[in-house]
Amino acid sequence: MFFLQLRSELAKLFGKKRTYIGFGAFLLSQNLMLLAFRYSNWQNGTARLLEGNGYVATEFISTLTVAVLMLIPQILLLMPLYVMLVGGDLVAKEAEDGTLRMILSRPISRVRLLLTKWLTGVIFSAILVTALGAMALFFARCWFEWKGMFVFIPLPGGQTIFNAMSAGEGLKYYALTHVLLAVNACTMLSLAFMFSCFNMKPAAATILALSFLFLSVVMEGMPFFEDWKEFAITHHFRSWVLVFAKPMPIAQIAESLCVLAGVNATAFVIGATHFHMRDIKS
Amino acid sequence: MIRLRQLSKCFGTRWALRDLDLTVSRGEIFGLLGHNGAGKSTAIGMMLGQVWPTEGEALVCGYDVSVERQRALLKVGAIFETPVFYDYLSGWKNLQILSHYTAPTPPERIKKIIEWVGLTGREHDKVSKYSHGMRTRLALAQALLPDPELLILDEPSDGLDPEGIHEMRLTIQRLQKELGLTILLSSHLLNEVEQLCTRIAVLNQGKKVFEGTLADAKQTKQWVRLKVADFAKATASLQSERFITDTRNASLVALADGVKTDALVRHLVAMDMPVYEIAQEEETLESFYLNLMQDSRNSAKASTAGH
Repeated sequence: MFFLQLRSELAKLFGKKRTYIGFGAFLLSQNLMLLAFRYSNWQNGTARLLEGNGYVATEFISTLTVAVLMLIPQILLLMPLYVMLVGGDLVAKEAEDGTLRMILSRPISRVRLLLTKWLTGVIFSAILVTALGAMALFFARCWFEWKGMFVFIPLPGGQTIFNAMSAGEGLKYYALTHVLLAVNACTMLSLAFMFSCFNMKPAAATILALSFLFLSVVMEGMPFFEDWKEFAITHHFRSWVLVFAKPMPIAQIAESLCVLAGVNATAFVIGATHFHMRDIKS
Repeated sequence: MIRLRQLSKCFGTRWALRDLDLTVSRGEIFGLLGHNGAGKSTAIGMMLGQVWPTEGEALVCGYDVSVERQRALLKVGAIFETPVFYDYLSGWKNLQILSHYTAPTPPERIKKIIEWVGLTGREHDKVSKYSHGMRTRLALAQALLPDPELLILDEPSDGLDPEGIHEMRLTIQRLQKELGLTILLSSHLLNEVEQLCTRIAVLNQGKKVFEGTLADAKQTKQWVRLKVADFAKATASLQSERFITDTRNASLVALADGVKTDALVRHLVAMDMPVYEIAQEEETLESFYLNLMQDSRNSAKASTAGH
């Protein structure tokens, strides 16, 4: 029964056109970025950086390098928006449309309904991140050769991730980073989902979740909160970048994963508790 | 099938429903009447476990909905005013999805229900292409899917044209005759309730002001149309002699228990008041309802003035 219900929720989500907006946006932005990489002087700058550090530049300006570079703006801007758009819709849209009342005239518990909806969101997040990674790889391969991977990502606080590796190793880390990105996407969705369980419009739930994220970014960037940065959710979102660090800080990544798992569970419990208590009216 | 005990709901400081006691027996079509905001939908919401009661309990199919919601609703179907579906999916897919919230439903059952409601041939069309009447039929189909024993219909004819209302009425009658369902019908279409229901309850401002059979409703008072030269003077005299208990619209009088019309005529003639016309007035559900609402308003005003 649970899997039938989960399948129903997936059918509802993937039956909607707006679910695919995120996929479309990724596709468009990736191709625009690829055009910029191909025809701007970005390649020259990267070659200088590599050669300055003793690497053969032509070996590392590749599919994997470009695919990782393309991830950064998409993860910062597009992913939160599209994941939270879906997360904000999950409960609030059904309440707004009136279909929630029809579902809740059936013998299904509210917690079970929420669990299937949340799992649907988790599956969506995982698919979106997988599609993001696969599309980046596919389109980058169309324009660049399959060679070694070079990563150069400056982090807040002066730290820089700099690494160069073979194509095989790079692909392994690229896949691993997408697992962490899926956890990030899932956490963003859980935040929007939590607000969606309250009596509000779907857009309001999305905006509140985005505001929460924005607030976290702002607070993390203020020197005043330097000692408190571990409490900022966006600080832990950055663990995907640490996969490329040499050596990989496994303990730090595990800590961030635990924090994000906690945020997911907390968001679900808060949302489910309020949803259980509220009256569902037309 | 339904038993409500002292059911109350308070939203903030406003009581939407107050001390509602109600019993709906197996096999009957029970009408829940009341104006908009009278508390009908709140009561239905509490029967379906969608609205938490502030006080009291709602027993559906023998189970307390607040405690054992899943068991209580296992054999219950419901339709709400303005049926809404996932418009971007087909009627069939909608039914499939909604059935999964109750129990796994074989495709044969869905096909049978679609035939029963008369949607065969259109079930694979997107719901966005359905007319209002077709959506209502689909709503009925989703309510019938779990093979219910109790059907809760919250203003099912809302938004339908006269032909659609007629069709819905026939369907409700068929549901009771062919499937033996117990039906709770909430409506403000008095004509519809009059033609369908065996018993009714009337809500006004969250309180039950009447519960009984339609015959009870029509016979709460024996009204007589009286035409005399001076209605006020005549009724004052009749009231002082306890022949009548009430008057209405300066043309109707309610006879006291055991009093017949001939006694009225004799008394008025003896008082030298000519009687031009006297006849029994047939009470309709509409007149009963309107008077009930008027009485409720009057008593509310009186209690406010008393305070």
